[in-house]
Order: sequence, then C-alpha cells, then structure tokens
Amino acid sequence: MPADVSLGLTLVVSEITVLFRRLRTWAMIGALALIPILIAVVVRVSSDGSASGRGPAFLDSITQNGLFVSLTALTVAIPLFLPLTIGVVAGDTIAGEANLGTLRYLLVAPAGRVRLLLVKYAGAALFCFVATLTVVVTGAIIGALLFPVGPVTLLSGDTVGIVGYFGRLLLLALYVTVSLLGLSAIGLFISTLTTIPVGAMAATAALAAVSQILGALPQLEWLHPWLFTNYWLGFGDLLRQPIVWNSFADNALLQSGYIAVFGALAYGRFSTKDILS
Amino acid sequence: MIAGVPAESAQAVRTPPVSAREFAIETRGLTKVFGRQRAVDGVDLAVPRGTVFGFLGPNGSGKTTTIRMLLGLAAATSGEIRLLDGAMPKDTRSVLPRVGALVEGPAIYPFLSGRANLQRFDAADRHTSPATRNARVDAALERVGLGHAAKKRAHAYSLGMKQRLGIANALLAPRDLLILDEPTNGLDPQGTREVRNLIRSLSDDGTTIFVSSHLLAEVEQMCTMIAVMSAGRLVAQGTLDELRSAGTARVRITTPDHADAHHVLAGLGLVPEIHGRDDVITAELSVPGLQPETVNAALVRADVRVRGFEASGASLEDRFVALTGEGFDVAG
Amino acid sequence: MNKNWRWLPAGIVPVVIVTAAVSGSAVAEAQPQLPAKTAQELLEFVATSTDDAYSGTVEQSSDLGLPDISMATPPGRTSSSDPTSTALELLTADHTAQVYVDGTEKARVQVLDQLAQRDVVINGNDAWYYDSESNEATHAALPDKDAVKADLEAKLQEKAAEHPELLNLPRTPAEVAEVFLARIDPSTEVQVEGTSRVAGRSAYELVLTPEDDATLIGSISVSVDSETGVPLNVTVLAKGQEEAAFSAGFSAVDFSTPDADVFAFTPPAGATVTEAPTADEVKAELEAKQDLARTPAEAPQQPTVIGEGWSTIVELPAGTAAGLGLDAAAGNAAGMGDIMEIKPGMDPEEVAGAQALLEQALTDVDGGKALQTSLVSVLVTDDGRILAGAVGVDQLVAASRQ
Ligand SMILES: Nc1ncnc2c1ncn2[C@@H]1O[C@H](COP(=O)(O)OP(=O)(O)OP(=O)(O)O)[C@@H](O)[C@H]1O
Ligand SMILES: [Mg+2]
Repeated sequence: MPADVSLGLTLVVSEITVLFRRLRTWAMIGALALIPILIAVVVRVSSDGSASGRGPAFLDSITQNGLFVSLTALTVAIPLFLPLTIGVVAGDTIAGEANLGTLRYLLVAPAGRVRLLLVKYAGAALFCFVATLTVVVTGAIIGALLFPVGPVTLLSGDTVGIVGYFGRLLLLALYVTVSLLGLSAIGLFISTLTTIPVGAMAATAALAAVSQILGALPQLEWLHPWLFTNYWLGFGDLLRQPIVWNSFADNALLQSGYIAVFGALAYGRFSTKDILS
Repeated sequence: MIAGVPAESAQAVRTPPVSAREFAIETRGLTKVFGRQRAVDGVDLAVPRGTVFGFLGPNGSGKTTTIRMLLGLAAATSGEIRLLDGAMPKDTRSVLPRVGALVEGPAIYPFLSGRANLQRFDAADRHTSPATRNARVDAALERVGLGHAAKKRAHAYSLGMKQRLGIANALLAPRDLLILDEPTNGLDPQGTREVRNLIRSLSDDGTTIFVSSHLLAEVEQMCTMIAVMSAGRLVAQGTLDELRSAGTARVRITTPDHADAHHVLAGLGLVPEIHGRDDVITAELSVPGLQPETVNAALVRADVRVRGFEASGASLEDRFVALTGEGFDVAG
Repeated sequence: MNKNWRWLPAGIVPVVIVTAAVSGSAVAEAQPQLPAKTAQELLEFVATSTDDAYSGTVEQSSDLGLPDISMATPPGRTSSSDPTSTALELLTADHTAQVYVDGTEKARVQVLDQLAQRDVVINGNDAWYYDSESNEATHAALPDKDAVKADLEAKLQEKAAEHPELLNLPRTPAEVAEVFLARIDPSTEVQVEGTSRVAGRSAYELVLTPEDDATLIGSISVSVDSETGVPLNVTVLAKGQEEAAFSAGFSAVDFSTPDADVFAFTPPAGATVTEAPTADEVKAELEAKQDLARTPAEAPQQPTVIGEGWSTIVELPAGTAAGLGLDAAAGNAAGMGDIMEIKPGMDPEEVAGAQALLEQALTDVDGGKALQTSLVSVLVTDDGRILAGAVGVDQLVAASRQ
C-alpha cells in the first residue's frame, strides 16, 4: 500500500477542475452573464427617463445608478435561470458519472462512496456561488459601463457608498448561494436514483418550479415555511439599514434542513446502490 | 471436488488448500440475483497469488457481474468475498488501492484529454501521492503505447485507444492484483500482443492477474489457471493442464473390417460408436490409462485393416464447449 | 448482505427535524414560572412600564375572512400608487415590521416587504415617511410636544366635567390602569391566564373576555413582559374561531437602546421629497371637502352610537354610502376608519378607496347590503345609511330598523 496517505482534498480539486473544464459549465455561466447584460442594454437603449413602476424590482433605479443592474438581474435570475443551471449541475453529479461509466472507476479507485457524495456536493455548491457571483459581478460591470454609478440607496432610504455596497453585494451572493444549497441537495439525491443525467436535471429544475408554484398559493400557507424556495427572494433584507438578518438565519436553517434530509437520502441510496453502469 | 459446483457438471480439478493467505481472490457461495435471474449462482472462486488466472465463460454467463461484486460495485445477494487480505465490501478502503481494474470496458470523460482522464481517476484514490501523479500517469500512458496521444481529447480516441486508456488506468499505481474484464476487446493484433506481454511482465513482477475473456486462444496463451463460468455457475476451475487432461481423448478409425474393429474396441472396454459411414468407427478413451497406441496395437494384433487412425487429444475448445454447452444462444 | 441500516439516517433526520420543530414550539409554548399577579396588578405593571428603549421584530397577521388581495398583485409588488390596495393590504395581509424605539422622541418602524420597504422615522420634531418602491419621501414637522401636552390637558379638563371619575386623571400610569379596569368591568372579564413565552421572554397572559353575547369578539389576550411590563403580543380571537382573527406581537425583542444612527434619516438623492401639510392645514382641508360633499339642504349630521360596550354599533347618516361609493368624502371615510380599526395616520382617501373596493364584497341582506368579517360587520342600508360594529349582520339589520 502506498505509504503517503494524502488528505483526500485532491478529489475536490479534481472535481472542480473537471466541472470547470466542461464547455457546458461555461455555456451556463455565459447564459447567466447574459441576463444583466441584456437588462442593462435594453434599459439603456429604450431609456426615456420615465419610471414606469412595472417590471422586476429595481428596474427603474438602473438609469440613475448602474449598480442596480446586479439586483435587477438577480431578481430575474433567481426564480428560473439559477435553479435551471443548478438543476443541470446537481442533477448531473452522480447520474452523469454513471452514464459515462466513470462512476465505477472512481469507486474502484477507491474514491469511497460517502466521500464521492461529499465531493460532488461541494462541487455543486461551488457552482451555486460562481453562478450567483457571475450575475452580480457582470451586472455591476455592465451597469458601470452603461450608466452613472454612485452611492446606492437602500430599501430603507439610507445611502451606502460604493465600497459598502460591494460588501452587501457579496453578502447577497452568499445569501443566494445558501438559498440554492437545498436545491443542490435535492438534485444530488435525484442524481443517485438514475443513470440518465437529463432525467435528474429535469426533475430537479421541475421541483424548483413546483415549489415556487406551491409558494404562490395562499391556500397552502401552512406549507410555505417548509418550502425550500420560501426565502429565495428574501435577499432584500440585506439591502436594509440596519441589515435584517432574520431571513438569512431562517433561510440558512431551512436549507440546512433540506441538506440534512436529502443528504441522508442520497447517502442511503448511493451507499446501497449497485453500480451496474 | 469444489463445494458448490454440481457433481454432474464439475470435473475433479484441483482442491485448493484452505489457507486464505495463499489466494488473491477467494469467494464462497457468491450469488447475485437480478429479479428472478440468478446471474451468478454459488460461485466458489480461488485465485492463487502470483497466477495469471483466466475467467472464461460465454456471453451473459456472469463474468462481469462476478467482477463487479469482487470490486464492491455491486452487493452480493449472498456469499462471501475475500480480496487480497480483506473481506469485500467491508475492507474496500484498504483493499482496493492495491487492486487495478478494468470492468466491462473502459469509461472516459470525453471532454478531457487522456492524461487528464487518468489524473482524475488517480485523484479519486486518496492513497496516491499528488506529487508523483504526473509521473505515474505518464508512465502508465507509455506502458500502453498512448504516450503520443496523451494530450488528445478522449472523445477522439478510437475504440482500441480507449481500451488502452482503460488498461493504463489499472496500472496507475503498483498493484498486487489486477482484475481485467476482457482487456483485449477492440485491440488490434499488435495491441493484443502487447497486452499479453504486459500481463506476462506484470505477472513476473509478482502481480496476480485475473483476466476474464470468452476468447479461448487468448486465455490459453496467457493463463496458468482458468475457471469456467456457464449460466452463472462455475463449472470448472484449475490449471490449464488439469483442465485439458480432464477431458477424454478419442480415437477415430477408418477400416473396412467394421465388425472386427468393433469387437477389438469392445474387448478393450470401450464403447464404439458408428457414425453414418460404415467404414468409420470412433470411441472415447474412457478407460483410465488406455493410450491410443495401445488401441492401435490391439487392432493390428487382431488383423484389422486400418486405413486411417486418428487420436484427438482433449482441446480446450472441446472442454469449453463440453462445459458450457453447444448452443449459440445466450443463456437467459 | 443487509445494508439497510444505511437508510437509517434518511429515516432519522426527518424525525429529528420534526421533533426539533415540535419541541421548539413546545419550548415556546412552555409556561414559565412567574410570581403570581392579579389582573389589577398586571394592568398597573403595564402602565408603569418604563423601559421605553427597545428594538424588535413585530409580526402582524390577520384572518378576518376578507378576500386576500395579495393574490391580485404580484408578490412583493404592492403598488403604492394605488391607495386602495395599500389599505386593503395592510388590513388583510401579514406583515413583518422592524421597530426601533428610544423614548418618546425617537422611533422608527420599517414595514418589510419583499424587495421593498416602507419606513416611518420619528426623530424629535421631524417625521419621515419613505417608500422604497416609489422612492418617495414625505416629511412632516411634528407640533411642539409642549403644545400637544397643553392641548391634552385642556381636553382632559373638558372630559372631566362630563365624567367626574376622571377628575384627577390621568395622573399616573397606575391610575390609568385602574380607570381602564373600571371602564371595561361591566361587560368584560379581565383575567390573568397563566404565563407564556413571547420572543424568548417570559410574559403574563392578560385576557379580556367580553361577556356580551352580541359581539363578534371572543377574547383579547395581551402578553405582558414579566420584566418590563411592556405588552409583547396582542391576539384577538373572534367568537367560535380557533385561529386568531388578528394578532400583532414581537417575534424578537431587545430591550437595549437602539443605535442613534437608526433614527437619523436623510432622504436619498433622487427621491421625490414632499412636505406634508401641518395638522391645521389638514383640518382645514377636510372641512372644505365636507362642505363640498354636502348639499346645502342637508344639515351636518354626526354618527350615532347605538348600544354600549363591545357590541356598540355606529350608524352613519343617510347619504354617506353614496358619498363613499362615488365621491369618497374624506370625513365620512375617516369615520368608517374608526370603526374598521384602521390605524391612525392612514390617508383618509386610501380608506375611502378601500371602502369602495369592499363594496364589491358586499352580500345582499334584508334591507341592504352587508359585509361580514370575523370581527367586524358592515351594513349599507338601501336608504344610504351605514351601520358597523363588532357584531353580527343581523344585529346591524335589527339596529337599522329602530
Ligand atoms: N443490471 C442488470 N439487470 C438485470 N440483469 C443483468 C444486469 N446486468 C447483467 N444482468 C444479467 O446477468 C447475466 C450476466 O451478465 P454479465 O454481464 O455478468 O455477463 P458476462 O459474462 O460479463 O457477459 P459478456 O461476456 O457478454 O460480457 C446476464 O444474463 C445479464 O442479462
Ligand atoms: Mg462482461
């Protein structure tokens, strides 16, 4: 047996490398970057200075301060595009490897089933952060290019400087990343159920849609605090002065609940599964 | 006589000594049931260390399924597995780093280069050293003759190149045991020969090699021991010679003195058979110790005019067909 | 080989989560041990509460049986340009507000909407209202505290003439409590019903139960903080209902002085800033409007009060309904606002708009149209009167015939 037993972090590094060497990953990141660009360009081109009061949040503020592009883009990306890309990455985690057949070689290496699950989840979580950051950073850049920038007005009417604003944007990206962790765990579990990655991806993205639909039905109010999408748009709490941490905390608790439940399910399934692909 | 192998199909080959240490692979009553089908049915394998062990069987006989269970990929429905010094799948962590494997063909990340593919699989094993990774990967690629194609995207690899990559993956680290499922599948003649040589040289280094195949000739050339699977059951196991000699030779006599020949053969205790043509008579040398030359001498002594005398030794192919059945259809 | 135990975590984790959730609420519902207090003592305790610097999160929810208008507008988008929906939304939807209080001079209430916020900031003589969605700030100069105090004194003297028992009142909070008890005693049972935990603090439960068959109000419970005497939660139950018809209370509270920065408000650059009319100007405007709405033949009529206690019915004179529906006469609408328990500070026009919308929810009854919520009923008679009260519709119908 080889004498040197490394920490095993190399698999995480390898996972991230493989994830970001895929053209598909970059295509999704590109598509996400396109959201703020599209919003900014459309607003710039059709800008006649009138605030219509319609459209996604912060849209009217863009012409005055380009930094708001990030916020508008996030609001647009959260319900659909972000879950879609997370669905692709999380749904692909195990099912993708099974489909390629590489799963058997990883396990024979041996990667260890639990370790592989953890590494796969870490990769998906990192993608959540990168995806969110893509929207936020692209939004800030394109906003700065096309519109004037300056101190930013928060929801409470207070004003923060650009540095303070970027601190908040980072917090915001963190919030959205945390919001997507539950969905990633669900995707991971679904991914252990099948060897057809497209199926797992579609199922994961569909669940995000279902959860949001349920969240919009007032008849199911009792269910809402349990839906993983419940706090998805709660990132506004980070744009108040003083910052209201309630939704961050509630969201983190809820998401960790989902991670625990679906992590346990994924463990149960994957550690007992016959790898026959 | 091996426990678990039905008496009517198993020939007495070799009773393995009981010491577990002596075997690289040892299974007892290994069984895998898919739904109603018993894909592997009470298999007792015993692969001594240091051997090149052929695992023969027609399509669908349960070779790959057995290998999956050996490697802990699939759980056995029942039975026990010992691999090197550990029990599978309990000791996966300590055992598998010492085992290189090719299971049911190679698998690749098409969007990665050959080298990156190997680096990925190597990283999956936490026992390997990242410091030596590149060197080991390159050495493995050289060993299978992929040195020049290392940087090529794997989706552009030919079938044989992928197969070589799969073998290289099994060779990333020094192994005590190699489990290779049809390693020469898709290889050109040179590739096949190289793999054969590779296996020999690895074996010389003391590595135990377990090769599954349905190609008799290949197994005959490489292996010192074989086991034969048929419809999920292990029907024979032993050294090549043991298996060959376990088969019975036949004599085929062409003679116009049909009745006399029949008489002589019967006198020797054989059961003559007549096939269509009335000048040909055959018999299985079923009497222990009876050699074809003795039969010939007896015929000559009885003044039987022999036009042709043919003694066919037991070919492995005959044995294989005898053990696994004549039919072309895959056993469901 | 039995590997089923690997599914164990998948079974255990949900159980643990549910258990934690249940026991979490059990902890919240666990009744803390507190020294016994009579209702009287508790009311005094409330009145003497001096801890007036705190911050916290207030959750308000109501289940009045009114149509949920939050469905009509996209989530997070309560168009503030439409006063009707704002008013109705405040009535029917649930709210979370962040509250900061430092003495009587400084306060800030932030109504937290999804991706939006409405702020009321009071700092000394300045009051600001800011709406993030429209980016509009309204400033109001508050009248001098001393002047208000003098005004109050004068009013009290007036009242005292009518009610001798008020002669030397209110002087101390304890006395206020006594009067309060004396006032509600005839038709109300006041009890201390154990203790509770609110926002992580132990509290006394003060329950007021109207002993009045006519009213829709079942009971009102007030959770009083055991340390400071500050009411932490108020819950109103309608008769025959399990779920609270209305509740407002702290979900988190911190009895330390909030940061002074919180009360400093400067309207952001780019915001539309308007100066609110002073109290006198508002008064004058309202009177002018009322004059316009009335035909000269109609003498100004005051609302009549029928009955007493919890089942009091307020009757607005003929012509009101028409004015409300079409003209949205500000004065009458304000009258309705009182009945509907619409909070002070609400724009009268908004309330009128809300009324107009409510009219769509009216059902036909004998002699008019009625709206019944779980706490309040409103009757619009065919001859144009409006009757309202915390009673059933049939009570209103009966009252309208007298
Ligand atoms: N995932 C599966 N589900 C159900 N049955 C299976 C599965 N995998 C294999 N089998 C069945 O198990 C039997 C043995 O299959 P296995 O792949 O082990 O054969 P093999 O000996 O490797 O054949 P080949 O020489 O063609 O590779 C076959 O009858 C096959 O149909
Ligand atoms: Mg096979």
